[in-house]
Amino acid sequence: MNSQTTICAQATPPGISGLAVIRLSGKDAFTIADKCFKGKILLKNAPSHTIHYGKFYDSDTLLDTITASVFRAPHSYTGENIIEIGCHGGYVVTNNIISTLIYSGATIALPGEFTQRAFLNGKIDLTQVEAVADIIHSVSKQGSHIAARQLLGGFKKRITAIRQELLSVCALLELELDFSHEDIEFIDKSNLLILLYNTIQTCRDLLNSFSASSVLRDGFRVGLVGFPNAGKSTLFNALLDKKRSIVSPIAGTTRDYIEDSLSLNGISIQLYDTAGLRHDSTDTIEIEGIEFTQKLLETSNLIIIVNDVSVSPVYSLSLYEHLVKLYPESKFCYVQNKIDCVTNIDIHNLNFSSIFISATQDIGIKQLKDFIEKSASENLERISDVLLNTRHSVILSKIISSLEISIQSLENGFSNEYVSIDVRNAIHFLGEITGEFMNEEILNTLFSSFCIGK
Amino acid sequence: MNNYDVIVIGGGHAGIEACIASAKMGCKTALFSMNIHTIGRLSCNPSIGGSAKGHLAKEIDALGGVMGVLADKSGIQFKLLNTSKGPAVWSSRSQNDKDLYPLFAQELLLSTQNLTLINSNIKEIIISGNRVKGVLTETDDIIYANCVVLCTGTFLNGILYTGLNGIAGGRINEQSSVSISKNLLNYGFKTGRLKTGTPPRINRNSIDFRKLNAVGGDITPTPFSFRTTNVKNTLTCHQTTTTEQTHDILRKGFNESPMFSGIISGKGPRYCPSIEDKIERFSEKNSHQILLEREGLSTDSVYVNGFSTSLPRYIQEEGLKSIGGLENCIILKYGYAVEYDYFYPNQLTPSLETKSVQGLFFAGQINGTSGYEEAASQGLIAGINAGLKFLGKPPFTLSRAEAYIGVMIDDLINKESEEPYRIFTSLAEYRLLLRQDNVYKRLSQYGFSLGLLSENDIIKLNHREYLSEILVTLAQETKTNPTVINSYLESIGETLITSTTPVNTIAKRQKSSLKALFESNNTHVPFPTDSNLFDKAEIEIKYEGYIQRQLAEIETFRQTESKLIPKNIDYQNIKSLSAEAREKLIKIAPISLGQASRIAGVSSTDLAVLMLYIR
Repeated sequence: MNSQTTICAQATPPGISGLAVIRLSGKDAFTIADKCFKGKILLKNAPSHTIHYGKFYDSDTLLDTITASVFRAPHSYTGENIIEIGCHGGYVVTNNIISTLIYSGATIALPGEFTQRAFLNGKIDLTQVEAVADIIHSVSKQGSHIAARQLLGGFKKRITAIRQELLSVCALLELELDFSHEDIEFIDKSNLLILLYNTIQTCRDLLNSFSASSVLRDGFRVGLVGFPNAGKSTLFNALLDKKRSIVSPIAGTTRDYIEDSLSLNGISIQLYDTAGLRHDSTDTIEIEGIEFTQKLLETSNLIIIVNDVSVSPVYSLSLYEHLVKLYPESKFCYVQNKIDCVTNIDIHNLNFSSIFISATQDIGIKQLKDFIEKSASENLERISDVLLNTRHSVILSKIISSLEISIQSLENGFSNEYVSIDVRNAIHFLGEITGEFMNEEILNTLFSSFCIGK
Repeated sequence: MNNYDVIVIGGGHAGIEACIASAKMGCKTALFSMNIHTIGRLSCNPSIGGSAKGHLAKEIDALGGVMGVLADKSGIQFKLLNTSKGPAVWSSRSQNDKDLYPLFAQELLLSTQNLTLINSNIKEIIISGNRVKGVLTETDDIIYANCVVLCTGTFLNGILYTGLNGIAGGRINEQSSVSISKNLLNYGFKTGRLKTGTPPRINRNSIDFRKLNAVGGDITPTPFSFRTTNVKNTLTCHQTTTTEQTHDILRKGFNESPMFSGIISGKGPRYCPSIEDKIERFSEKNSHQILLEREGLSTDSVYVNGFSTSLPRYIQEEGLKSIGGLENCIILKYGYAVEYDYFYPNQLTPSLETKSVQGLFFAGQINGTSGYEEAASQGLIAGINAGLKFLGKPPFTLSRAEAYIGVMIDDLINKESEEPYRIFTSLAEYRLLLRQDNVYKRLSQYGFSLGLLSENDIIKLNHREYLSEILVTLAQETKTNPTVINSYLESIGETLITSTTPVNTIAKRQKSSLKALFESNNTHVPFPTDSNLFDKAEIEIKYEGYIQRQLAEIETFRQTESKLIPKNIDYQNIKSLSAEAREKLIKIAPISLGQASRIAGVSSTDLAVLMLYIR
């Protein structure tokens, strides 16, 4: 890590666009920019937080007319001197400008390096670093809003509150040990139990918002399953509202599945078509490529079972029951496809609810989409004001199990030093979320999810 | 040409361990004492060990130090403390004959090869460049040495107080040494001021024992040292309490207490407070426990444990006489406070060598600690490292995950304490693994490699570990059934078993005992055992889950400990460090990221900065 260099990179996504922003950060940002920028005044003399119009040259060649925004250290995103160059979009102009900057003394930034510098200069803390990553990766509007709140430190406050409480518990447990000869009980056992149970509940609540968080981050995941010829692919295309004749298998997987996304009322929906279910002669259901399909279904928020109603309305019922048992956390929907192929079906005799559609005739597709949207927004309602990522959820699970062990120790009559080891562990894990506790692994995880220019 | 390889100054508990360790390692060693007849005195409490201190005493024994042996030889009552808690915090404590302890210590020193005792005051440490050269005695003789270990305790600028009268001196009736402090200040060492106190001693024959509760030792007393085969309880102590009246009397004298009136500026220990501190701080408590501990078998002097004070004499006397059983007590020696210089221990490396002067080591109270055990363990580590330095070998240090000694030294050099440092179980993060029962397994191999334990010692100790492992295996492999075991389970109030179950599964239950389980099950143990051996095995079984989790924690600890910080790092150049962190990092110069993380004033953000910077 060399903070002596001045780094530059394109901050807006690459590609064709009207405008692009190139960010230049480091102690020499102004002098490097002044080598190429010709405006009314030198940027090194410009006050902070001002914008200057001018021309950008590669020696004598005019590359573009640009705006240069000046941010002086420490009042900038990275805490260093920053010039943000607003130029015309497209590959050629941006690449030329960046090459010129590098020729003038800048170096190309590594992924996440701007944020890393912001962190190193004390501009943001680690939960905020994560929030920046979350905003970048956020697929929905709500998601970016919550990530933005996190950026302001709300999540950290909540975690810190839990941590403080556990720290005081620990201190009392320790005090009792240190003053064992004085025979004073500093903390009542039943109060301690209540406190531990409450903390576990708080962590569970946070954790529950994780699946909802992931909907915001990654979209609401809908898996289509069914036996061959039930019309899954047709339904898949009908839901996407496009004719997708060729499905491309995802490389590196053993089983073929197709994936695409659509947006329903602002919520991003990830749609998966799983393959590989078959009815065998003995009438038992096998899920082939078990690990793979399982993984897909496990992470699905909604599983749609596509049944060929022309064979029988209950043809896939055993599959449905089987999956409900396997994935109790998921929502289910039983879809009777090919309704156009049957004439007289007594839907009132079915003792389970299903949606009747025809994927080819566009019957009931709107109804099904409404159902998917309703399920997705129900899921989002569970979200509170925090957005958890996978790292947080893994740590929260660890905290819960540590606290559960400490409750077990208390209930089994183990003395304080055994109770406190797991409370201490929980405190340690909480510190991993807020950055109170630091190790290299955590740092790597934090900065690895960035792309260049952030 | 050096006169000695290693010189140790001061014959307190630190000095004793330091000079014996160095001599045993084959270094020609001299111990300088102001008065060799006072070497090894128990100047405060006539006891060794106690909560967490017992762990230190055991660790000293496991490394080949002598405190445990001396405590066993002079011990008159032995007790395992905290037995109502889990085995990790069980701590040995002995009461000792304060006349015998120093005699045994002096005898041991005189019979140690390579060691010379010299009765002389040291005026000056001779330093040239950044290297220690030797010492200058009061008779202006220069004695050259490769390494010097300074263990001068409270003798540096010590002032004694009873009431508002201060007299210079380390312990009562002994003179303090001012010149070494001055001498070292000239070399840039920084000192602070601390205070400690001691309670009055009273005549045994003046106590009315009929009113008091007798407190005896353990039914089966266990020694500190593996080298001791047998110890006996030959004395009982007595317990009484202070009253509201006592507190009222003592409060009268508060404005004449040097600690309250601000005459003594040094900070006192939080955990071993004077009686006036206790009254002030726990004002809602209307009585405090007092233990009357006879100071030896051939003395009538009784130590009034819990009544440490520096109040004026007439207040002490009136206060004591308001306590049940002490109505007519005769005071032999009044309580007093002592204020003394200490050197900020962050001037030391983990081997207790000073950072600025090569070959100069500090150990004991001089580093701001309180207690014999704390002093002795530092003495041992300093003595070992002085020896290693002379022998041209790398230093020996213990980590926080290995020993209480490691915890203490790491705390001393990284944290800034404004009061005397005393060891506590709460200071050890890995305390479930730092137990007394596994102390030899943890440390004796080191003692052997350093030459402090003999081959016979290590064979004996390893054999015991081996036997305990066999017991654990036996418990895993032996199955028991409801018929033979349920009556035992019923008798201890545990749930009965319904089918054949391995013994170790039942031994995991809180109330069950491995020994009783084997007996009820008629399991034959093919070698002679004792209760300690069973305890050892039982702890391994019962707390297996906890032990495994701590081992996992230690793994993480070791990883950050092994992330070394380059020696030539320029903290001035890392702009993003906080000013406080930068200053501390420069001062302490941590070896690893792990050590950096424990420095007071270095925040997690500073640490992350450091991590990103050095990778």
